[in-house]
Amino acid sequence: MPLSIGTPVEEAPVAADPGVVTFPHGLPGFERCRRFVVVAAADLAPFVCLKGLEESEPSFLAIDPRRIEPGYRVSLSSADRRRLDAAEDEALLWLALVRVDGDAATVNLQAPVVVNPRGMRGLQLVTAESPYSAAHPLPER
Amino acid sequence: MLVFTRKREEAIVIGDGIEVRVLRVGKDGVRLGVSAPPDVPVHRREIYEAVRAANVSAAHAPATLEQIVGRLRRQAAPEQG
Repeated sequence: MPLSIGTPVEEAPVAADPGVVTFPHGLPGFERCRRFVVVAAADLAPFVCLKGLEESEPSFLAIDPRRIEPGYRVSLSSADRRRLDAAEDEALLWLALVRVDGDAATVNLQAPVVVNPRGMRGLQLVTAESPYSAAHPLPER
Repeated sequence: MLVFTRKREEAIVIGDGIEVRVLRVGKDGVRLGVSAPPDVPVHRREIYEAVRAANVSAAHAPATLEQIVGRLRRQAAPEQG
């Protein structure tokens, strides 16, 4: 919310950097990178980039898992839902991270990144049981 | 690593609000109870480690991701070479 003339400074809301998603505990392997941006572009679709802004700036190619596996459904634990500050049927952004190995690529459907656009908070699901693969092959493009 | 020997019902306190308690010691393993504030994630180590390893192999330096993105874009629109 922009400051307007007459807004007392003490009352001005502290806005997070626009576009920056906060991951309170980073990602497994990159725990100290707490701020990321999601970059989408028409000529990159359906892929997006998840770019870390801190530490080693870990950067990932990502894709909505529902585009890879029709009917993809992962339930959020109430703990994760609380961490994202997400209501029961709130629309969330799901990003499965893509591993590129030369010309082959696989996508991690087992541990998706979930972002709540309202509040701009994200985390990666770390779950014990999942019917999905951590290295689902992507059709070559 | 700090090493403790704990008996059943004994616990360890970590930081300012995390507690790990030994609930039961049996031949199938040790049953542990963890109390932590809701914002603190708690995971079985091997599960977390698997995700960590997958992330590390998927992560790129910013410049490398740009190269991959460039390749994807060229594939999407080859005539515009």
